[in-house]
Amino acid sequence: MKGKKNFRARMQAFGGFLTAMVIPNMGAFIAWGFITALFIDTGWLPNKAFAELVSPMSTYLLPLLIAYTGGRVIYGDRGGVAGAIGAIGLIIGADIPMFLGAMIMGPLSAWIMKKFDALIDKKIPAGFEMIINNFSLGIIGMLLCLLSYSFIGPVIVQVNGALTTVIERIVNAGALPLVALLNEPAKVLFLNNVIDQGVYYPLGMQQALDCGKSIYFMVASNPGAGLGLLLAYSLFGKGEAKKTAPGAIIIHFFGGIHEMYFPYVLMKPITIIGMILGSGAGIVTFSLLDVGLVAGPSPGSIFSYLALTPKGNILGVLLGVAVAAAVSFAVNALFIKNSKETDDSQFTQSQEKSKNMKSEGKDILSQVTDTTESVSAPKIKLIIFACDAGLGSSAMGANAFKKKLRAVNIEVPVDHYAIEKVPTEADVIVTHQSLYERAREANPGKRIVTIQNFLKDQNLEALFNEIVESQEKEQ
Amino acid sequence: MIIETVKNRIRIKDKVSSWEEAIREAAQPLLEDGCIHESYIDAMIENVIQNGPYMVLIPGFALPHARPEMGVEKTGISCLKLNESVLFPENMEVKVVMALAAGDANTHIDALTELTDLLMDDDRMEEFFNSQTESEILGILK
Repeated sequence: MKGKKNFRARMQAFGGFLTAMVIPNMGAFIAWGFITALFIDTGWLPNKAFAELVSPMSTYLLPLLIAYTGGRVIYGDRGGVAGAIGAIGLIIGADIPMFLGAMIMGPLSAWIMKKFDALIDKKIPAGFEMIINNFSLGIIGMLLCLLSYSFIGPVIVQVNGALTTVIERIVNAGALPLVALLNEPAKVLFLNNVIDQGVYYPLGMQQALDCGKSIYFMVASNPGAGLGLLLAYSLFGKGEAKKTAPGAIIIHFFGGIHEMYFPYVLMKPITIIGMILGSGAGIVTFSLLDVGLVAGPSPGSIFSYLALTPKGNILGVLLGVAVAAAVSFAVNALFIKNSKETDDSQFTQSQEKSKNMKSEGKDILSQVTDTTESVSAPKIKLIIFACDAGLGSSAMGANAFKKKLRAVNIEVPVDHYAIEKVPTEADVIVTHQSLYERAREANPGKRIVTIQNFLKDQNLEALFNEIVESQEKEQ
Repeated sequence: MIIETVKNRIRIKDKVSSWEEAIREAAQPLLEDGCIHESYIDAMIENVIQNGPYMVLIPGFALPHARPEMGVEKTGISCLKLNESVLFPENMEVKVVMALAAGDANTHIDALTELTDLLMDDDRMEEFFNSQTESEILGILK
């Protein structure tokens, strides 16, 4: 029973984690989608200069943002930076947009950084934290970057080759709808252009020469399945995903920028099943009705489809798109509706908060929080002792507190600063009650624990107990 | 560590007339050794007036200090032991005053760490408060 619950909780946390990585970056996807739909050669307002933005944005900006966000969720700003450094290695190494890679490398790098910090924390002489932290991040970041650079490129080449071979076999065997099984995951991996231009379009062009049209142009570029998914999100999604989906429909379906729906698949990977079924159904429809396009639609918008449909095929093509949309919508609506995952709007407020909220009721925090603060308690990651000069009383207090935590095997960074120089990452500021006004003024919005005595104080005791309890809960 | 910097900077007095005098008296060895300028002593006193007696770290023990830029030449700690306690603001009784001059934020941390251990140790502090001679104090600090 307990194990089951744990598993579900984990799956929820994981789904929420994916969402937390993608959703904050939707704006960047949309900006990129607009630029692409408008300015590429086949766009609405072709513009050579602006079109230059398209490739670097999708190759570098978007994956790096995702890697940064993913790292940040794991380990704060430090994790974000580690994640971005790690991810740039694989982006350059692969020289195609590496969304999924970034979603792995970002959090992974952050996690490694976090583990390393935990390992050396005890050993840093007080006062050297800054320099050691910067260099450890720099050096580990460099190693991660080199590593991902050297490993990921070859892996991508391999995957690509394997994919091409398998698709060719399926096509030769005549089981065309089955290619959806490969197409959809490959698309989300951003290999769509590779398979379209590398496999399907050459096949299509050959066939079009003979018959004047080809179905190969439509197997991976059908915008129907993506439309279904986004419609499902628009109606049954939650929070940000629901709100952004209608906009994504316009860019995807009319603009032909399929990448717009990739984040929605990535944040709920199970929807790939709906995508596969939708696309497969589309291919079945196309082949039953024996329709095709005269050339490769690029971008794959409904308008390019209509423009490239030969006479007499309009109905069949539209039907294929509609069937794909309907199937994908039906299946994905089921997934989205039934998913009990924490919805993403909560995620913008970070996972930890919700974790804490659950246990909040039981916590006895009242005596620790200072008079003006609310009782909400985000996880404490950095405690700063502050006094006037930041080197006498506060240093002693920080020392003593650190020792106390260490005695019970808790590694929460504790440091000391002058009141006006407290770093913004501090979660709790401990200061003498006579310095409260100054501390409040210099650090608005921070939680401040006031004490009468830097070494032995009941509020300090309460803070200590709070940390011990929250650590126990985590385990 | 702490013993090295406090050694030869220990004074023992029966009593002083005010907490200000206690700080002046405690800081005297640092002044004589060229660790601090007069201005630093004034700054420490001003600090207590401005910010309250938060330098009384535990009952009976004060660690007056101010910012390095107020007149620190080099890092050092000195000690004044009073046989009769003096009252700091807010009626804090103090018997041991250790004046801290920190040249920068870090060089004195080891000494302070040791001092922290001492302050947390009730038995040794009891001995400290009751000590009568320099050698006794050195024995406790060791």
